[in-house]
Amino acid sequence: MSVVACFKVVPDDTSIRVIGGKVETNVPLKVSTYDKNAIEEAVRVKEKLGWKAIGVTVGNTDRKSIRDALSMGLDEVVAISSGYLDVSGTAMALAETIRSISPKLVIMAESTTDSSTSALPPYLAEVLGYNLVSYARSISIQDSTIRAERSVGDIEVVESPLPAVVSVTGEINTPRTPSVKQIMESAKKPVKQSSFSSQPLSELVEVKPFVTVRKRVIIEKPMEEAVDQLINYLKGEGVL
Amino acid sequence: MKILVMSEDPEFFRSSAWMAQQLGGEILGIHPSESRYVDKVYIPNLEGAWETALAEFAFTLKPDVVIAGGTRRDRTFAFSLAGKMRASVASEVMEATLQGDSLLVKRPVYSGIAVATLKMRLPAVISVQKNVMEPNLLKGEVEKITLPGTNLILKERKVAQQSVSLDKAKIIVSVGRGMGSKENVKFAVDLARVLNGAVGGSRPVTAEMGWLPEDRQIGLSGNKVRPQLYIALGISGQPQHIAGIRDSKVIVAVNKDKNAPISENCDYMIVGDAIEFCKVLTGRLSK
Repeated sequence: MSVVACFKVVPDDTSIRVIGGKVETNVPLKVSTYDKNAIEEAVRVKEKLGWKAIGVTVGNTDRKSIRDALSMGLDEVVAISSGYLDVSGTAMALAETIRSISPKLVIMAESTTDSSTSALPPYLAEVLGYNLVSYARSISIQDSTIRAERSVGDIEVVESPLPAVVSVTGEINTPRTPSVKQIMESAKKPVKQSSFSSQPLSELVEVKPFVTVRKRVIIEKPMEEAVDQLINYLKGEGVL
Repeated sequence: MKILVMSEDPEFFRSSAWMAQQLGGEILGIHPSESRYVDKVYIPNLEGAWETALAEFAFTLKPDVVIAGGTRRDRTFAFSLAGKMRASVASEVMEATLQGDSLLVKRPVYSGIAVATLKMRLPAVISVQKNVMEPNLLKGEVEKITLPGTNLILKERKVAQQSVSLDKAKIIVSVGRGMGSKENVKFAVDLARVLNGAVGGSRPVTAEMGWLPEDRQIGLSGNKVRPQLYIALGISGQPQHIAGIRDSKVIVAVNKDKNAPISENCDYMIVGDAIEFCKVLTGRLSK
């Protein structure tokens, strides 16, 4: 039995800046923040049920980021290198690899920090023909059924037969910080390379900075005075 | 051109219908209640875990363009349908125009730092952001539909507690890690009370640390808000948070770190302790 955690290597969104009217994305890479929740949950399934936990990543196959994922406890990673893929292409690339693994469960984050479409989990579930549980904030597995609490405005408790694709929210767990030993051991774990290419259904025409103009008035004085000054400003703005 | 509009939420439905009308063509809708913003509306029985079942129904309508709202259920529906159709997709679309055989859309990327323009091949499935535009009234023929069964069985539904809606709040007091602890959130709650506002929080304190319920999350992956006044307490201002507050009229930040990213994205920043700020401002406004 195995569980797959999908993750994506992205430019660190906290380092992306707009410089000279251009979006500077040539910044350090990392595992997309919320994907760590997916990896953590897959490792917990492994620890609880003794399944094999396999990471799959598509696109950028930055070695250091893959080691970060492995050091969290995945047994191995399949790294699919590709050029620009849209959601559809990414789903096809993942599906090809996942079919060959034939896992009981595929865990992914609700969205990534770069494109944030939230489209991939439902799309992939359809391509694979797996059941879908989206926005899970807790999961448990019994025999070949998954029970989950979904956070969709209301909280829904649902059950579905496996195999299933599950997208998880940040509430589901706190991703572990690997120990030095785990980081060392991650270097020995297998990383299988493959590649995928397809013609995207959507073409990226341009990316422009999202400009907002704010006043940026800094008030640096004792709190009592600062608050009085702020109250005056806010009255002037007509919002207080 | 056949356009399908769907949302479980009335405001998102209106925003989606408006965008559909800008594109032009035959407009079908799926919504839990009657609507005259479309040529024909299908009213499903939204019981159980309905999103993928609804996608199965929608697939039979063979739309060229699908425009869905942005709730989590809307997106689950829309992108399940997209997977069935093997369609091109985009979410949180702000603008859409037809250009020949393609749909040209603008949407935020990199946690809202940038806007991407995409040229999507048809069929295309998109989810939209809320707007305030009023669509025209159309025929609005009505047909009730029954959804097929699914493998996903709903065992229980716990209805979310309705506190002051973040969506409609004129003033929002929002907390981040800089508040120090879950106990300290009460100072923000007190401030919100005297301001007659709502309380929200950043992703770390809602989704990760549980200081507030997750439905209070403000940001790209939570609620997008547009209050008159937004007060960010101890929030550093990561891009995903800024993306959720961009439409606020006035943004005030209180942070010990003068160089926190939020300093570049606010109108007024008080450099100092968020708790002390809450106490002083609550005191002033209570007088």
